Amino acid sequence: MTGLDAALLRRRPANPAHVWDLLRALIARDMKLRYKRSVMGVAWTLLNPLAELLILFFIFSLVLPLNIPDYPAFLFTGILVYGWFQTSLFFATGAIVLNRELVRQPGFPVPILPVVTVSTNLIHFLLALPVLFLLLIYSGVTLTWAVLALPVLIALQFTLTLSLAYLVATFHVRFRDTQYLLRVLLQLLFYLTPVFYDGSAIPARYQSLYNLNPMVFLVDGYRAVLIRGELPNAGPLAAVSVAAAVLLYVGVGVFSRASARFVDEL
Amino acid sequence: MNDAVVVKNLSKQFRRYHPDRPWTVQEAVLAGLRRLRPVEHFWGLRDVSFTVAAGRVVGVIGANGSGKSTLLRLVGGVGRPDQGSVKVNGKIGALLELGAGFHGDLTGRENVLVAGVVAGLSGREVAARFDAIVAFAELEKFIDHPLRTYSTGMQMRLGFAVAVHVDPEILLIDEVLSVGDLAFQRKCLDRIAQFKAQGCSILLVSHEASLVRDLCDEALWLSAGRLMLQGPAGSVVDKYVAQVEGDGQTEESKGQHLTGPHAVSSPADESRVHPALETTSKPGGKTELVLNENRFGSLELEITAVRFLDSRRRAFAFLHSGSTLRVEIDFLAPQRILAPIFQVHIWREDGLVCCDLNTEGTELKATAVQGAGRVALRFEHLDLKGGHYYVDVGCYARGWAYAYDYHSSVYPLLIHGEGAETHRHAPHSWEIGPGVRSIVPELQTTLGAPSDE
Repeated sequence: MTGLDAALLRRRPANPAHVWDLLRALIARDMKLRYKRSVMGVAWTLLNPLAELLILFFIFSLVLPLNIPDYPAFLFTGILVYGWFQTSLFFATGAIVLNRELVRQPGFPVPILPVVTVSTNLIHFLLALPVLFLLLIYSGVTLTWAVLALPVLIALQFTLTLSLAYLVATFHVRFRDTQYLLRVLLQLLFYLTPVFYDGSAIPARYQSLYNLNPMVFLVDGYRAVLIRGELPNAGPLAAVSVAAAVLLYVGVGVFSRASARFVDEL
Repeated sequence: MNDAVVVKNLSKQFRRYHPDRPWTVQEAVLAGLRRLRPVEHFWGLRDVSFTVAAGRVVGVIGANGSGKSTLLRLVGGVGRPDQGSVKVNGKIGALLELGAGFHGDLTGRENVLVAGVVAGLSGREVAARFDAIVAFAELEKFIDHPLRTYSTGMQMRLGFAVAVHVDPEILLIDEVLSVGDLAFQRKCLDRIAQFKAQGCSILLVSHEASLVRDLCDEALWLSAGRLMLQGPAGSVVDKYVAQVEGDGQTEESKGQHLTGPHAVSSPADESRVHPALETTSKPGGKTELVLNENRFGSLELEITAVRFLDSRRRAFAFLHSGSTLRVEIDFLAPQRILAPIFQVHIWREDGLVCCDLNTEGTELKATAVQGAGRVALRFEHLDLKGGHYYVDVGCYARGWAYAYDYHSSVYPLLIHGEGAETHRHAPHSWEIGPGVRSIVPELQTTLGAPSDE
């Protein structure tokens, strides 16, 4: 029996309308929880990227100037895009282990839990976008029709992040230090993603190795549509799309295969 | 279509891992990836078949760890059976994990909105039934307070209220009828009777034989994962109770232990003097035994009760340092088991191991046990200094091969007075039996194992 068959056999087919209601209720719960714990609410989620913006801007325009045009907008795009990716995966480690009662609830579609995590962080990303647009206007960037490609980039990043979230959530059920290892890995990946520098500065002989990181093309794609006002380079993004689709298939497969044992391991 | 639930040859296997099984990548790497594989598998459920006809109420009875909850979960589609099949015709409602999706930082209102959808209602249905749910839980005044300000009873009431507003066609109930005060329990039972009247099929797990007798049409009796008996509720319950009392091993018969040849106190006395201990030997009490949480092992032999008694064989609230302690372990071995090892392990709240004793080297080495029996450990004087301790008890296969049953952090022991940090060589003696048969013939005479009562 393959993992996917098992997933289908495991529970009665969920009604799509009910899955949608569940997603909404659980995302709303996560949002309420995060804002209730802090006095400043939404501002709090903005504080973190803004502080990061301030510090990186200080370092790379005054201490070690990189001379990138429209640097604040350039930087903030990178911070928000990578931030969504990073926090989603970080919180995905708890998607199963922190929702033990839900996993044990008859009829509950367990595969939606990582979707809830990535979606909640998508909402934080979207809430920060107005600030990014203010920065763009402040920098004197003129928005073009290319900005309409933004939803496509978001959908692509969502798929890629979700596929990894499935793997991370599964792994954390078995090895409870996944979160710490992941923190280190994501920290390292931050430097290998063009967040505060321009990817074209990578020496040609390392370019192909560097390009194995799909976030390289995603971050650059956002900058193309927002700052440069042009459509992103289609070739690499098509490759990322294929990779994301394959990864999602693998991620869901691994997750479903393992999920039959979640109840016993929690 | 007349059958709500059809279960065929259902088997579920659990894996037992090495006690030092690594839980982190770091440990796994350091351990060289050994011990990642299960040490052995054992059957939590074995070859169980039954049918719940539409509109019938079926009760499931059996001792702790007999597979009742596992069965209910599998019927609910949670977890995957290793063999056999479960067919369910109809919408399932579950009173298994009350308050699934509840979070202490959210208000009662916000929690109901989430839990209602989790229980299977649509968002619109939850909104429409919201007032009815809150009224049922009798929490109108508190519904906008954070859940963490609620008492456990209030939280359970809210969870129950959500669960019974789902309109199930098949209802799964696991030991949740002990929710709240008597008035609320009455209300819950009325609600379940109402479901029954509406033609809802019910599968109910309970330790309470009388509840199964009163509420159910039919009953299933599970023992060590196998279906012992099924049939009309009254007759199955009668046989179950008779067997349990005959063996003298569950809560119903607990009083009989104490009125045995050595007991001085009545059971009522004991529960008053030492409420914590009372719950330990009573399934469904405060410290409930949960497999793979505070209970480990294959359960081929089950530890059914543990009692602490003083020099006069009475229960106590606390022990004076230096006085006599008797730890009695009741067990049940459905099959014959050769040379089991019993272990008693006393440790302090902070993890310091104070005393670790076992029956290796006693006459148990050459005995076999079968059926219900008892092993007791008597400390002449236990010189531990005042504090909170736990007494873990376990029973292992010959040569410490693996655990049959091990209860960890379940039985608290309070000691008053001055004494030593540890007492590894505490003077002690093991008493084997009654109930243990020395059936190795040539050794029988030399061992002098006590005969049955």
